[in-house]
Parts: sequence; structure tokens; C-alpha cells
Amino acid sequence: MLQASRTTGVNLYTYSEVEDISGFVGNFNVTIRKRARYVTNECNGCGACMDPCPVYGYDEFNEGMNPRKAIYVSFAQAVPSIAQIDMNQCIKCGLCQKACELDAINFDQQDELVTLKVGSVLVATGWDEYKPETGYLGYNIYPNVITELKLERILAPNGPTLGHLFRPSDGKTPKRVLFIQCVGSRDLNKNTYCSSGVCCMIAIKNSKLIKQHYPDTQIDVAYMDIRAAGKDYEEYFTASRKEGIRYIRTNISKLHEDPKTHNIKVIIQNTLRESLGIKEFEYDLVVLSASMVPSKGIDKIQKILKLETSQDGFFKEFHSRLNPIDTKIPGIVLAGASQGPKSIAESIAQGRAAASSLSRLMGKEIYRIKLIRATVDKEKCAKCGLCELNCPYDAIQLMDDGAEVNEILCRGCGSCLANCPSEAITLRYYREPQYEKQIDAILEEL
Amino acid sequence: MAGTIRAQYPSTIRPVRINCTGRVTPSLMMRAIGKGADGIIVAG
Repeated sequence: MLQASRTTGVNLYTYSEVEDISGFVGNFNVTIRKRARYVTNECNGCGACMDPCPVYGYDEFNEGMNPRKAIYVSFAQAVPSIAQIDMNQCIKCGLCQKACELDAINFDQQDELVTLKVGSVLVATGWDEYKPETGYLGYNIYPNVITELKLERILAPNGPTLGHLFRPSDGKTPKRVLFIQCVGSRDLNKNTYCSSGVCCMIAIKNSKLIKQHYPDTQIDVAYMDIRAAGKDYEEYFTASRKEGIRYIRTNISKLHEDPKTHNIKVIIQNTLRESLGIKEFEYDLVVLSASMVPSKGIDKIQKILKLETSQDGFFKEFHSRLNPIDTKIPGIVLAGASQGPKSIAESIAQGRAAASSLSRLMGKEIYRIKLIRATVDKEKCAKCGLCELNCPYDAIQLMDDGAEVNEILCRGCGSCLANCPSEAITLRYYREPQYEKQIDAILEEL
Repeated sequence: MAGTIRAQYPSTIRPVRINCTGRVTPSLMMRAIGKGADGIIVAG
């Protein structure tokens, strides 16, 4: 991000949202809403405004585990490093204005709409962590049941306790930790897919990290299958077993809390050692390895770009094996987890592939299309508008003198001409008489 | 599709490749029936 912000020719729009995209490859019109930060670009992120601010809110970046002021920088490595005001909390006391030496705070700032002309669009909307419903495996009702992302923040050196492991109920360092894998994934009632082994590897990574800092911690991982596919991944998994992390193949259906100690009691049956029977174990902290789900804003982007989504809710690619980078709309490509759950290494690979796919397209001065496109006989056109309604690609539009086909957007499917009551539309190379001849020839021999 | 999954189908079936099932018009189907086809499968 930092490098991108310093590269000439790259314009970053952070804290912004795409409102609308129209047009076609080489000629997209994009409307971007730059949301008001109430702090101008003069800000250098010094943080002088944050000290006098009397209002506290929850730090969203740290999953709400520590307080932040109403004027804040969203997280330490934010690019650009500019403060912003949470207007739901701000009381407009003006103390920050007095503290700011650069006069960068402006309470009257409004959202700004920017329109851009671009040649192509790369969609990289990322992913969110699956939030289990309240009560599922004790999530949201027992304080010591947390998700993987929260543990990630707890263990982070810039997290709420600067990397010291604690459990939410009493702030003590847990001695017994249980990871539960496949929460919300590989489950017919929730998400059917596997999150590409990412949750497995994060759980292994975090359990190794805990073991390094607190070697006497007992760490168990309750798993269905450990999916450590990829270079060095299996070795990483084996190394974690050697460090003393216990892997228990089981499906956990129930856990409950000891109301006095807030410890979590889990009933476990090791399916690889059935002779051990069903036993109850006690843990200080339970971590749910929740699956990857499409990011929240994906519905809006999908409507704006008229993209398809696959069954899992991620954007649908041109072909899941032969071309997982492009979409069916020319000039729009997918990168990273917008197309499906994937790890960092896979996201980088796809991001680079997406960029090269676009540069191959944009590097040429011309864009070649096939001639299999719909054409309209305007003299026959009755201007009923049925074609416009039925076009899946928004390629045909009703003008004053009849329907008009955008030959770049048109993909030659022929839905418009099958629906045209006045037979004004034909498809080049696939005209009605050509099909009639084919049918006649086939049926002649019968 | 029938080819890639190596599905067996009767030799009396005659495929006509059309760009999109949306392109199939009633007049094409009626023509085939008129010329002696017993039935039509629109598969996409």
C-alpha cells in the first residue's frame, strides 16, 4: 500500500466506495464516493488531536478489545496516515481543532463524488470471517469462546496487550487452549466449501506461536481433516506436532461453561482412538477457526458490475480451472479472495495474473471482437423494448429510431432475436435460414 | 458436454449447436417437428 501510494501514476482512493460503474471495456465510467473523514489531506498523522479528545469508542481494528478516541487513525499502518472522526461519537467540542497545528480538521466536510474514466476494472474485494450465530459452540455467550481473527489481534505485537496472550473473561494467560476447526465450513447447513486450508494453517501458526511464548501451555486442535496442502505446509504441520501440540480428530457438537471459573468444558470423542471413549475436557480458552466468507460489500459490487456469483457467494470466474482470473465481462478481472477462499501466496499469484491479463488487454491499441453479434434492421424495429429487457449483458438499448446494439458488450447469444416479435434482429453467421438449412439437412436422411 | 463426460446417447439424436439456449425460437422447433423429428431436447 505504502509503495503504491508513492508510485506516480497510481491514485489511491481510501475510505471510499464505488457507487456506480457503466460502460464497457476500454471505456468504463466509475463514480467513487470519497467518504468524509472530517480531516483534510493536510494531516500528517502526528496524533496531537487524539490526546485532548474526551470521547472514547471501541477500536474496530482490534475487534473492539481496546478503546480509541472519537478522532483516530484507523490502524497503525494505515495509508495514507490521516486521522478520521467517528461522527456517531464526536460531540464537536473542538478540542482537536485547537490541538491541530496544521488546521487540518474541518467539521463541515462532506462526502465527495469523483467520476473517473478507466479502461478496465480489477475486483479485489477480499473476504470476511464467518461470524457464527449467537450460541453456536458458545460464541457470543461465553466470553472465553473467541474467533480466530480475535486471537490474531490478541497475539499481534500491535494488538490490545502488545502481544501478550490473555483470555477475555479475566485477562489471565490461558494454560489450556482448544482450537475448533471448520466452524461454519464443510457443513451442509452453513457453508459447504472448505476455506482452502487457510483456517488450518492459521490455527497451526497460532498454536505454534502460543507454544513458543508460553511453552507450558497445553494446546489441542479439534479437527476434521488437517488440510496442509502446498509447499512446506505439511512440514509445518509435522513440526507443530513435534512441539507438543495435540491434534484430535473429532466433531465437537457441544460445550458449556463453568459459571464460576468461566472455563469451557468440552465433550470430545477422538474418532481415531475410539477405545478412549467420550470424555469431558476443560479448557481456559476456546478458539473457533471460522471459515472465509465473501466480504460484506460484495452484493453491492455485484449489482454495480453485473457480475455473477458462484454458489458459495464469491464472484464467478470465466472457468474455474482453465481461466479463474477473468470474468465473463471483458475488461473486468478478479484478484485474490474475491473469487474464492485462498491463502496469501495464492492471492499474490492471482493478483499478478489478473494484472498481466489486464495489461495484455490494455497494452494493445485495439480490442478485437468476434463478428458474431446481433444486428438490428431499424426499418422493421417496432421499438417495443423487449430486446433491451431480455439482454443479459445490457448490450442493446432502445433509441429514438430503434434498438441499437453495442457491439463490444454484445456476446452474440441471440436472446434478443428470439424475443423480437417483429423479427428485426439477426445474428451474424447464425441467421434463421442457416439454422433452417441445417435442420432440413439433418432430417432429410430420416 | 456429452462428449467430454463420455456419455452414451442414441445414434438417432442429431445435435444442432446454437450459441445460446436463448437463441432457440419456436419457429426453429416447429420446423424440425414439421420435417419429421420425433422430439426436441433443448439442453444448455
